[in-house]
Amino acid sequence: MLHLSRLSRADWFGPLLATILAILLIQSFSASFLSAYNIEILLLAIAVNALVAYSQMVIIAIGQMNLSVGAIGGLAAISFAGVMEVWGLPAPLALLLALAIGALAGAVNGILIRITGISAFVITLATLSIFKGINLGITEAQPFYGIPESVKSFGASILFGPVPLLVLPTAIVTLLLWLMLRRLPMGRFILAVGSNEHAAALSGISVGTTVVAAHAISGLLAALAGVLVVARLQIGQPSIGDDWLILSFAAPVIGGAILAGGHVSTMATLLGVVIVAIITQALVLFSIDPFLVQVVLGAMILAAVGLNRLRARTPLKGSH
Amino acid sequence: MTATPIFRAEGIQKAFPGVLALKGVDISLHPGSIHALLGENGAGKSTLIKVITGVHAPTAGKMYLDGAETGFASPRDAIAKGIGVVHQERNLFPRFSVAENIFLEQLADSWVRPVDYARLNREARPWLESLELDIDPATPVSELSVARMQLVEIAKALSLKSRVLLLDEPTASLTSSETDRLFTILRRLRDDGTSLVFVSHKLEEVQEICDRVTVLRDGENACDSRPMQGVDRNDLVQMMIGRAESGGAWRHRDTEAQPEVLGLTGVATALGHRDIDLTVRKGEIVGLYGLIGVGRTELAKCIMGQFAVTGGELRVDGSAVRIGSVAEAIHRHGIGYISEDRKGEGLILQHTVLENAGVPIWRKLARAFGSLSDRRVEGVVTPFLRKLEVKTPSLAQTAGNLSGGNQQKISVAKWLAAGVSLLIVDEPSVGIDIKTKAYLHDLLRELADNGTAILLISSDMPEMIALADRIAVMDGYRIRGEVANTGVYRDISRRIMDLIHGESAARAG
Repeated sequence: MLHLSRLSRADWFGPLLATILAILLIQSFSASFLSAYNIEILLLAIAVNALVAYSQMVIIAIGQMNLSVGAIGGLAAISFAGVMEVWGLPAPLALLLALAIGALAGAVNGILIRITGISAFVITLATLSIFKGINLGITEAQPFYGIPESVKSFGASILFGPVPLLVLPTAIVTLLLWLMLRRLPMGRFILAVGSNEHAAALSGISVGTTVVAAHAISGLLAALAGVLVVARLQIGQPSIGDDWLILSFAAPVIGGAILAGGHVSTMATLLGVVIVAIITQALVLFSIDPFLVQVVLGAMILAAVGLNRLRARTPLKGSH
Repeated sequence: MTATPIFRAEGIQKAFPGVLALKGVDISLHPGSIHALLGENGAGKSTLIKVITGVHAPTAGKMYLDGAETGFASPRDAIAKGIGVVHQERNLFPRFSVAENIFLEQLADSWVRPVDYARLNREARPWLESLELDIDPATPVSELSVARMQLVEIAKALSLKSRVLLLDEPTASLTSSETDRLFTILRRLRDDGTSLVFVSHKLEEVQEICDRVTVLRDGENACDSRPMQGVDRNDLVQMMIGRAESGGAWRHRDTEAQPEVLGLTGVATALGHRDIDLTVRKGEIVGLYGLIGVGRTELAKCIMGQFAVTGGELRVDGSAVRIGSVAEAIHRHGIGYISEDRKGEGLILQHTVLENAGVPIWRKLARAFGSLSDRRVEGVVTPFLRKLEVKTPSLAQTAGNLSGGNQQKISVAKWLAAGVSLLIVDEPSVGIDIKTKAYLHDLLRELADNGTAILLISSDMPEMIALADRIAVMDGYRIRGEVANTGVYRDISRRIMDLIHGESAARAG
């Protein structure tokens, strides 16, 4: 029993249970749910959305929020497509440039927050508008169509079975993030700053560097998500990233992240992304109004926050 | 004891905007010694600790380490030079393991080299053993008791090879047996040559364990690094408050015949209080004494309707009531509460003096459609602010810009303006200077003389004895007994301590 109660406190346990239940339930209503085609669509959505969620998760870990996740992703996406079409840069170079732009945009967020002492909410609200404005200024709201074949084929390739190649970068990032938050001083410092900034400073951690680093990582992840979307859509849409915000919060929170900071789980966040993708897919499958997805997403955030609070209050039995 | 100190500070001054917190303080710390740093709230202890540990840079003055002049650029720099500190507030990361909390500092060498947790656990064990802490280093700190968390912080400071270790009120949240164990450990550290600085309000503890003492009063030395030998409790108190301990301005007041304003019979609460019996009569000051964390503030919050009363009877003006919310307590029953947490709960620091003082009466003054004019509020509030001599350039001044004492006066003024019949005052003199404190005491007495019933919560015994007519003693969320105040310090403090210790001993046995 004690074993089970410990398991049930792990962040990934609840989301995993919910995922399995959801799959079983939906499958029982619609046999085509687990068809190869459907699985591929699910995985494509998960590959991008997981990066979006991680981008926010890293900032939640330091106890802040990043409203400009989508704007950074969009800016990186059109930069990626734009430099290939306009300057004819090769794809790998364009990728590096796009990632650098994302990391830089994130670092700017972090530096502004540290220097001004203004809340991350306000700073990233402002930079959201700035990044989006630069995006629209460059594109004049028109997509870039000149995507090289190499990128198009990357976006359309299959790794094996129903698993698209686009899943690979996300899988690697997942492992790296997991390693960072678990094992690398950088990740531990991020969590320490989120848990108690004052104590972190007294422990000799440079809070400023940590905050800026977290924002740079966040920007980098958002940029990678933007690049993947370009590869999948095969065009550089200026509107990429516009609808990321709610999802970026929903998945980490479903995964047990504490919005006050100091506690996030990479695996549980991934499961949060999976749950959202499954439910979205199910609504499509049952031809339910797609606008309802927004309502469901909102309801899930509320339910997850409530559950997290409940979990935080129930003391662990058999503790010291 | 050797004559050469490890650390010496001379003429330390520290100015904050509008306040000179330290006005030239000296202190010498010797190896193999436990040094008491005493002073009332606001005397400058915390500021001095922050200067010694590199949190604040001194405005003037010199510091010497092993005889050579030194300075600390940051807390990290002070740590590197062997100055460790265990702060009053916990500075641990609850979800991190004990070992990681101890060694977090040392991880900073490389940001990307994976943490070897097995090694951390192995290296943490000797430090835990040296403090007789029998816990697995891999345990998350959140699963430890407060006392053990404190020991983990000491282990952390020691692991940094601290030769000077400052402990800011380490016993504030410990039980007596935990305190005894801590003292055994501190003595052993002292014998190993560590220089310890012990900050506490509990003079008994200071006398038990310290061999030298520095007392601060109003940001100056009342004594500098004097051997403890031959210094008795009365001397310490005299140095701290600048006069021998006495009932002060206490005078006997007869309130026996007055009607009861607040009555509790066998009250139990959602927060864990049991069998609480307490009466406060009109014009009476009843003290609620107890150490920090025994349930005094919590009881006040239950009376105020913030948390539920689950059993027994709560009476206001003689009739049994159920108070469902704070608004009900204020507006229907005329109970006001001056919070100990002035910054967090008492005042809205970003708002103006006028807005702060007016909050409780807005409802009363509001006219049709809830409209409210500043002038109306001003008219009601100004006489009280004037009476309390609140020093503010104007009513439009932001409360956060005023001194602690003036802020406290505003919190009193707002309840006076609201015309409450019962005022619960929680630790009224924390963070205000001695003069303001004396003034505040006069004010509370005057209020009582004019018929306000006052429930005074304080862990400052001289304050209790100066003000209260009766003192109810709380421990472990119960009332352990009541002592009628005679104004004789020695007598009252002994009887109060007997009530607390008698019960602790009974529970332990």
